[in-house]
Amino acid sequence: MLALAAIFYAVASWMVAPGFYDGFGPTQPYNWTCPPPQAGANLKPSSGHLVIKVIDGSSDPNSAFTDDGQLVIGFLPGAFMVDGKTSITVDVTPLDSCPQPPGVRFVTNVYDVKASAPLDPQKSANLVLIYSNLEPDPSDIYQAPAPDGPWTKLPRSQQGQPFTIVARTTTFGYFAAGYPATSAPPGAVTVGGGQLLPIIVAVLIVLVVLAGLPLAVMRRRRSSRGKDA
Amino acid sequence: MIAAVRSRAALRAGAVALFILIAEWSRAEISRQPGWTLAALGVGGAVLGVAAVGWPPESLGLGTSRFGLRILGGVALGAVLLLPAAARSGAAPLLPAGLALGAVVVSIGEELAFRGALYAALEELGGAPLAITGSTMLWTLAHVLSHPPEFLGAVAAAGLLLALWRWASKDLVGPILGHVIADLAL
Repeated sequence: MLALAAIFYAVASWMVAPGFYDGFGPTQPYNWTCPPPQAGANLKPSSGHLVIKVIDGSSDPNSAFTDDGQLVIGFLPGAFMVDGKTSITVDVTPLDSCPQPPGVRFVTNVYDVKASAPLDPQKSANLVLIYSNLEPDPSDIYQAPAPDGPWTKLPRSQQGQPFTIVARTTTFGYFAAGYPATSAPPGAVTVGGGQLLPIIVAVLIVLVVLAGLPLAVMRRRRSSRGKDA
Repeated sequence: MIAAVRSRAALRAGAVALFILIAEWSRAEISRQPGWTLAALGVGGAVLGVAAVGWPPESLGLGTSRFGLRILGGVALGAVLLLPAAARSGAAPLLPAGLALGAVVVSIGEELAFRGALYAALEELGGAPLAITGSTMLWTLAHVLSHPPEFLGAVAAAGLLLALWRWASKDLVGPILGHVIADLAL
């Protein structure tokens, strides 16, 4: 019965991405444009659209977000230079390719954030990106005017919820979270996981075999002594 | 007389189940707050361990006989729990080192609560079949808030494996060790 349960577990856990123990990970799997090999079934990332009202020449406070919640950008009251407009539209679209510029390693999708009016430089927008636990934590959010760059780091804001990274921006463009490729991933002190996992499992199996044999021999000797007595 | 004993056992099992469910769901909710993940893991794990207070160690599966085998069983369980992730190509998720202590505390707390106190209470009420199925079902239900729905099948399978081990070997040391290894390594 134990063997059957082990097989059932192996099948059930094979069907999802690894890393579900005790909720250390994000509460929803990340929707990838280019899923890493270890990701399980993947959904395409969503886009988002927002219309912000302009009342008495000032834009309302509001937040634009993708339908899967992987990018949220919040705007203060009067955040836009409205220039006579009666409403502002904001569109968030995940890029359908995964640029990896030199010197930076992205760990999220790249998102194109556009609006029908520019931001007031004095009223920066709050940008929140969710990331996956299948990749190392990002250190910064990067921004570029085009997918091929140049990519610049945004000043990082206070720490948000687990598996989110927050920054402030005064311009629109392309956004992604990542870390400098020349350095080790930030917070790289990790326990297990990664390429180490097969080694850990191999060591555990060897330990069971090596320790199990003497224990089995001892038990057999004990039981044969008992029979002799 | 028998009815009175049974109703007391049912009351105890219900109280343990409710306590564990509230502790797990609260832990999941609190861990979503910025900066509270580690505290939720540590305190939540400790609170779950409270469920085992008052139970004799033997009925929790915490005896010291055949201790070497129990440890070995835990190592084997850890290997089984990690094997599917290790067999996949590419890298597995990384557990930030700062969460390691929380992972250890919550693993021990969950085993004491689910395969320890809840298993003992359900076994007292309806024998091993109820203990295995009941602890597995509550284990899955308790993880509803902290895990995406598609992961719950694997969560249930892990719970069933650990509960069957608890039944087959009358041991909780193995599930504790296996759970700690799996949480730390994945």
